[in-house]
Amino acid sequence: MLISRRNFLKSSAVLVPTFASLPLVFRRAVASSIVESGTHTTAYPTSPYPDRTLVVLQMAGGNDGLNTVIPFTDSRYYDHRSYLAVPGEDVLDLDGEVGLHPVLDKMKLLWDEGLLAIVQGVGYPNQSYSHFESMHVWQTADNDGNLNEGWLGRYFRELEGMEGSALPGLAVGRRTTPYECSAVDAPMSVVQNINRYRLAGSNKQRSEALMKLYGGSSLTTPYGVLLDNTLESVYKSSEALQNANKNYKSQIEYPDTSLGKSLKVLSAAIIGGLGVKVGHVTIGGFDTHSDQIVEQPDLLREVSEALYAFYQDLKAANKDQDVLVMTWSEFGRRVKSNGSGGTDHGAAAPMFLLGSPVVGGIYGERPDLRNLDKDNLRFTTDFRAVYSTILEQWLGASSEAVLGSERFDPIPLLAVS
Amino acid sequence: MALDKDRRAFLRTAAKLGLSAGALVIFEQACSQVDSPSRSSSVLATPQSRVNPTPQPRVTPTAQPRVTPTRQPRVTPTRQPRVTPTAQPRVTSTPVAYPTATPRIVPDPVVESTATAEPTVISTPHVTTPAPDDSSITDQRVRMGHLLRRAGFGASRQEIDRFLDMGEEKTVSFLLEYDQVDDSDVDMRLAALNLDPLDHSLKDLQRMALIRMIYTQRPLQEKMVLFWHGLLTSGYKKVGRGPYMLNQDELFRRHALSPYDGLLKAVAKDPAMMIWLDSRVNKKNKPNENFARELMELFSMGVGTFTEFDVKEAARSFTGWSLRKKEFFFEENQHDFGQKTFLGITGNHDGTDIVDIVMGQPITSQFISGKLFEFFAYENPEQEVLAELASTFNATGYSIKAVVEKILTSDEFYSKKAYRAKIKSPAELVAGTVRTLGIETHANNFGSNYVTPMGQELFNPFDVSGWPEGGEWINSSTLLNRLNFVNAVSKGNKRAFDYDLVTSLKSNNIKSTEEAVDYLLDLCLDSVVPDQERAVFVGYLNGLVGGDNSVNALNKSRLGSLMYLVMSSPDYQLG
Repeated sequence: MLISRRNFLKSSAVLVPTFASLPLVFRRAVASSIVESGTHTTAYPTSPYPDRTLVVLQMAGGNDGLNTVIPFTDSRYYDHRSYLAVPGEDVLDLDGEVGLHPVLDKMKLLWDEGLLAIVQGVGYPNQSYSHFESMHVWQTADNDGNLNEGWLGRYFRELEGMEGSALPGLAVGRRTTPYECSAVDAPMSVVQNINRYRLAGSNKQRSEALMKLYGGSSLTTPYGVLLDNTLESVYKSSEALQNANKNYKSQIEYPDTSLGKSLKVLSAAIIGGLGVKVGHVTIGGFDTHSDQIVEQPDLLREVSEALYAFYQDLKAANKDQDVLVMTWSEFGRRVKSNGSGGTDHGAAAPMFLLGSPVVGGIYGERPDLRNLDKDNLRFTTDFRAVYSTILEQWLGASSEAVLGSERFDPIPLLAVS
Repeated sequence: MALDKDRRAFLRTAAKLGLSAGALVIFEQACSQVDSPSRSSSVLATPQSRVNPTPQPRVTPTAQPRVTPTRQPRVTPTRQPRVTPTAQPRVTSTPVAYPTATPRIVPDPVVESTATAEPTVISTPHVTTPAPDDSSITDQRVRMGHLLRRAGFGASRQEIDRFLDMGEEKTVSFLLEYDQVDDSDVDMRLAALNLDPLDHSLKDLQRMALIRMIYTQRPLQEKMVLFWHGLLTSGYKKVGRGPYMLNQDELFRRHALSPYDGLLKAVAKDPAMMIWLDSRVNKKNKPNENFARELMELFSMGVGTFTEFDVKEAARSFTGWSLRKKEFFFEENQHDFGQKTFLGITGNHDGTDIVDIVMGQPITSQFISGKLFEFFAYENPEQEVLAELASTFNATGYSIKAVVEKILTSDEFYSKKAYRAKIKSPAELVAGTVRTLGIETHANNFGSNYVTPMGQELFNPFDVSGWPEGGEWINSSTLLNRLNFVNAVSKGNKRAFDYDLVTSLKSNNIKSTEEAVDYLLDLCLDSVVPDQERAVFVGYLNGLVGGDNSVNALNKSRLGSLMYLVMSSPDYQLG
């Protein structure tokens, strides 16, 4: 039983005194029901590419870019990295100049098929070396740290016509809403564990009473709108996702890792046609101040294997043309390794864009190891140019509306209009 | 707050801390600074809207660098008059006995209040934009409920009644002077679990912590342990098995209200922290910056208040702080004895000096006061509130106890702006629910079944920043798991949640469905519920009983359903 709040509102006048007093989500629901009856028109933009999905993979903690896409032909890399450096003969050569860490062998397979775009030297001016400040910059796409909504949250806010979609935004495998997807009423669902993502003991009377409570008194509390919207998302998304997951029969074996499990759930939702516009998964642990030689390869392997299975799965379901994957991390790491077998916080690092929509290859300029900025790599591509590429060419949204007035020209790495 | 009352509170604090006459003068100066100009006018003048659906005007992204990378001239940290840490005389008055859960006999105040049929104490008009309201909560019972939720983990009706008899002022000092309170009951409950004392799994650690939150007779101490675990955090996934996380938990309990400099120095040498932030591998000529950075960014000063150079110099100062046989050990030949310049102060610093210099920064008092105020009262405190707390902090030798006392006795804490202004954290929701209902439980798997799925894996935060804050607690997954927890409680499986609501209602002389609703609203929501919302509860219960609105219709299943609705309500998610 999927209770539609809109239907509920139509059929009940309790606690809904006037149109103007409704929280935003209600107003929209009512407004769109008016649209349907032909008495009102709206200028809300709808997505020109309703079938497309962006999947964001956050590598939290600051992934060491130098040991991910390795400049194995540059002797300075070996000078700086002592025993943390990956020997040239082990590196998976991409273009004779840089290569992938050997644990990224599955990524290399994608590269060989032209499905992997690497943007080198991505960063931003006045790099922050704080995890949280730098994440905030990436997530809000605002260098000044003034904005309190994520860039994809702002995208959602501009986007309308999602009433038919059960899961416009879906974050899997984490406990909090990803900040890049957050906005006051962004339609994000967060699923930590698919097996637990169902309401226990739910029945119609109780659910209806609960909706009255959420639509009513919580208007007067600071978190009222958040709680309202979230309850609606609970009802809508849990049933839809359970159904999609039940019908999902994948032939692809995913690695038994938390990232593998998360991407599998995301795949079930995408293949099940739940209207996912933005999917989000996270892997943490990249803050390798020590023992990097053990820890980073495990994490990179987890990323590589899970993404490879995800791609194969989408391809088997003939959905691969509709899904673009982007990875990011809040910063790279210090060029010179520290004394504890690790690396401290750094600056520029590469990003991966992956899937059938990309034109495989290496983009952007490789940061110069001879010209460091206080021991750190200088960025050569602003991350907002990557966002702009995705917004304009993949999501069909206005990058100015989301990123602000400063113009970032798209990078020609997508094989789409 | 009247000036005289405020000053009395100061003097009382001062007397407890054994302050010198000189320090008292500083107290009084701080008092008069705060009291003039009128605090209320300036507080009223800054209504900060927390939920802001309209985009803020953008600043051009390229305009300003966030942190100027060049060094700025720093104010030389001036030493505040210090109280010697040992000069905290115990309160000599007779130890307070914890209110025991004696069953109430006659008459029941709640039944009386339902007779007047006006349970709504805060009469917020039903549909209005929330506006910060700094007027005070007046109803004593509501104030007490608020205090015990914020300074503890909620309370059963019996507890609330006993504390009301004691009065607000004595309750606050009872909470603060927890070392006078016998807490052997919780120790016996923990001992009965027969857990391995030397090597705890995450499951054991979580279970012990939850049992303490539920059954402790020292709620403020446990609340502070949760606070420190969130602020000075470490996590099991990196620290690993062994005694580390439990010892850190005990350290927080021991230092729950200790002066902050002492706590920070103890935490800097705490093995769990030394593993979590890599200080154990921070060596001469091979400094590791992890602890040095987070000491300033997360524990004391906040982001953007120091330079990368300060991070490097602080890291050098902590070199040689190492572990041997799972204990702190100073490895002299790995310590960098050279000169360092940290926050503008040059010297042959070691880690202790770094903490002292950090403590002397004016921003530190603001930072920690703000963290405490937001934890207990509400987010985005007014500048003058922070300034007042910061001056208390500095004038009392960095006393956390003095700041907490000041918060718990402030008008802001008891303002309508503070009431239900916070989302309950998962631990607060779970421990608070069990405590409020007086449930008997061994809390087996409460962590993995309930608290963790709501987004709080105790002893294993996602990263170095500790627990989420405010709205971050709520998303579709965590709200769903809140509802499922409430569903489990409402079913009342005897092995996990042993209580009997039917008998409680009968012994409290409840005669009708409407009275049953009011009983639960008093228990769970301080009876602060708008009429329309109360009507939903009454309508729902009456729908279940199908015409028979007498006490006979109130069986376990129907009451459970009603309880589910009350505890699933948006108001119950707020604390």
